[in-house]
Amino acid sequence: MKTCIACGMPMKDASEHAMNDPKKDYCIYCARPDGSMQSFDEKLESMADFIVRTQGFDRKAALRAAEDMMKKLPAWEGCF
Amino acid sequence: MSAEQGKRQLQKEATRERILRTAAAVYSERGFATPTNVITQEAGISHGSLFVHFSTREDLQISVLERFAQEVCDELHDLSVNNGSVEEMLRAHIGVLKNYELFYRNLVSETALLPRETRTLLVSVQSAMSHHFGTAVEQGQRNGTVKDLPLHMLFNIWIGLLHYYLQNGDLFAPGSSVLEQCGDELANSFSKLISK
Repeated sequence: MKTCIACGMPMKDASEHAMNDPKKDYCIYCARPDGSMQSFDEKLESMADFIVRTQGFDRKAALRAAEDMMKKLPAWEGCF
Repeated sequence: MSAEQGKRQLQKEATRERILRTAAAVYSERGFATPTNVITQEAGISHGSLFVHFSTREDLQISVLERFAQEVCDELHDLSVNNGSVEEMLRAHIGVLKNYELFYRNLVSETALLPRETRTLLVSVQSAMSHHFGTAVEQGQRNGTVKDLPLHMLFNIWIGLLHYYLQNGDLFAPGSSVLEQCGDELANSFSKLISK
């Protein structure tokens, strides 16, 4: 089972990969509408939005948590 | 790599694995503040050997927690119920946490005293759960079976309830697993509370 390089989500089957393509290393939640992978800034924003929406963090705390999580993911190795 | 070097590498990996497993068991039983010498005694290795594999106590704690977070996230993902009800999702959540009950209880009790990275790992575990929780709740809200309350409030009320029971397990289920003893009641009561 692959893990999304951009958010860390496990990808069990093809439908969880971007564009239903198991060759893609990133998931449907990290893909733009055209199927390409979100940029660092886009992912940081979308991950923080997700944390605010599901866990109710203050926006700044959510951004910090998202950044901390992204530090450990291969897609963003060169971004810190 | 020579055969001898290969053997040494395997031994090194086996020792690292033994330290990680022992540390996880010790943290479950005695909490994360347990001195490293207790871990090395339990693992049957010298104290110095631990620091060959982990530069500091915090490094060991983070490595154990990273493994825990990865395992729990994978298990939550495997158990996510497609088109399932909120109650089914909650039961799946409890089912996963049962495997790590003491470890998880100590983690949520002691997180403020642990390195900041630990907090991030806990947030990543809760994010994985909140994703599946949110899917079930939003589906229920769309089909009119779940109350229209903000997702984060519903999730935090569930986590608050769960953690309260875990942290007071000695009162709710003395000498046994609080998730085993009270898990069904928690999932059932919470899903009734949020149902229309």
